[in-house]
Amino acid sequence: MKTAFNAVFEFLKIFMTFLIISQILNGLGLGMLYALVGVGLTLILGVLNIPNFAHGVLYALGAYLAFTIANLTDSFYFAMFLSPLLVVLVGFLLESQGVRRLYHAHHDYQLLFLFACALIIQEVIIIIWGPIGFSLLPPPSLSGAVDLGFLIYPKYRLVLICFAFFMIICLYLFLTKTNLGAILRAGIENRDMVKVLGINVNVVFLYTFGLGAYLAGLAGALSAPIMGLTPSMGLDILPICFVVVVVAGLGSIPGAIIAGILIGLSQGAATIWFPEATNVVIYVMMGLTIIFRPQGLFGVR
Amino acid sequence: MKNKYSFIALIIFLFVGPFLFPNATITEMLIFGIVAISTNIMLGYTGMLSFGQALFFGTSAYISGLMLLSGFPLFLAIPVATLGSFIISLFIGYFCVKREGLYFICLTFAFNQMFYFIAYVWTEVTGGEDGLVGVERPAYIDTQLTFYIFTAIMFLFAVIALYKIVTSPLGLIFKLIRENASRAEAIGYNVRFYKLISFSIASTFTGLAGSLYVLIHSMVPIDQIHWLKSGDIIFMTLFGGVGSFLGPLIGVVGYIWLSDTFSIIWARWPLIMGVIFAIVVLYFRGGVSELLENLFKKYKSISRKTEHEQNIKNTKLN
Repeated sequence: MKTAFNAVFEFLKIFMTFLIISQILNGLGLGMLYALVGVGLTLILGVLNIPNFAHGVLYALGAYLAFTIANLTDSFYFAMFLSPLLVVLVGFLLESQGVRRLYHAHHDYQLLFLFACALIIQEVIIIIWGPIGFSLLPPPSLSGAVDLGFLIYPKYRLVLICFAFFMIICLYLFLTKTNLGAILRAGIENRDMVKVLGINVNVVFLYTFGLGAYLAGLAGALSAPIMGLTPSMGLDILPICFVVVVVAGLGSIPGAIIAGILIGLSQGAATIWFPEATNVVIYVMMGLTIIFRPQGLFGVR
Repeated sequence: MKNKYSFIALIIFLFVGPFLFPNATITEMLIFGIVAISTNIMLGYTGMLSFGQALFFGTSAYISGLMLLSGFPLFLAIPVATLGSFIISLFIGYFCVKREGLYFICLTFAFNQMFYFIAYVWTEVTGGEDGLVGVERPAYIDTQLTFYIFTAIMFLFAVIALYKIVTSPLGLIFKLIRENASRAEAIGYNVRFYKLISFSIASTFTGLAGSLYVLIHSMVPIDQIHWLKSGDIIFMTLFGGVGSFLGPLIGVVGYIWLSDTFSIIWARWPLIMGVIFAIVVLYFRGGVSELLENLFKKYKSISRKTEHEQNIKNTKLN
């Protein structure tokens, strides 16, 4: 009797460990995606000084374009490569045709213009792809599971974590080691000084918006095999991006990366203990941040 | 003088409205009129853009709906719901007004979505995704017309109260903060405190409107608390024009009329609204009221010019 009880107990313990580790990995994958989108939003917020309300729909657009390209060309990798670039084109269009005309106006109007664009793109997505969701399967080389020795885990999710990590490192190198990256960081610190130094700010704004859009599109495309595609995905991710920015502190890029991963992890942890509260836990984190550290984890202002 | 004319126009509108629009539409216009005019206190007079007004609208609608469902009378439900949104606005405003500009927008936006998810998850109380259904109107405002009259009275009360606030010294302090916050601080006003008051006034009246909204369709759909609704509220206010007290009302009438018309024609009507929205922001930032005012001024200056020319001619003749 006692040994049977012990065996069950041991089994439960191992099961719980697996559950926790796999949920932590899930949360890490999610957190990497949040970090990518959050950094894109932070860049635009920092350099252009506007909260990009179209960021969520750019994310959705990335996912839907990847879905269509993957279906048309039968190549998952090509879709992952091309769809963020197409989203960048949309981003360029938004910046050069709309936001740029509004730089002389108050930044509230840029925000409202982007909100209007979000409505338009959202409806265009529903018109083109319909109101029903889709799922995008990873290619055979990335599907299936990997035996990690202590845990069997879906291959695609592992690849996602590694790839997103790689992208974040690339972004870090770009921002710290290249000239354009230095200009972007200077733009976040002091926009007027960059202007005074003779740098064409319009070009810098265009590239920043493009980079932000790229990160949103990439995160959207990467998320498609995990979370599927629904027309409301853009509207759902946007508040999370804003929470990432609030938790990170306005305009802090390393903060956005860490805050994104933290929020993903806490969502993963919430899935184990309070499955119904996974969406609320994000806002609990935000509440704790503004009570104990109102300027955000890495905020200075 | 100008305000006197606008108030006369408002009263005429209240009487003529039911003949121009269907009863449910005109009632909705008045309810969102309260929302837009009170949001304008914060947006136009104090210069704070909050992206979370749907939070108060929705929460108050839920409170009054739940009270009516559990058998409380309407005259208790409306004050309690309004008071509820006042208390919530003090709590949230306390954290939000500490920060300004972009951070303020992000915070109000995130709080809005927090309440949305609470309403979404808490299915036993709020009905979750289906919304709160089965709220019944009391017998004395059972017909559309009596309900319209009831709403119109509440609307007038709210508008007069808001007008008193705007023309009082408090309204001047709000304008001072909008124009020059550091100057206000230097003179000795506690800017954060007055911002909080402005935020609370806007949110409380938005809450009042929310508690009336339950009664139109006898339900609270969950998208009334979604952040898209906050965007709509800002748009309505801006569409009418933040420059004048009653300007936002014109925006509300235009917005609801347009969305009603388009939603019958095409299921993807938000697309058209988005396009109109973008055009307004790009080319008519002053909104409808400024457009009308400019036309009026142009007309006036033309007539004055001709008068002036006439005078010159007369003097020459003499």
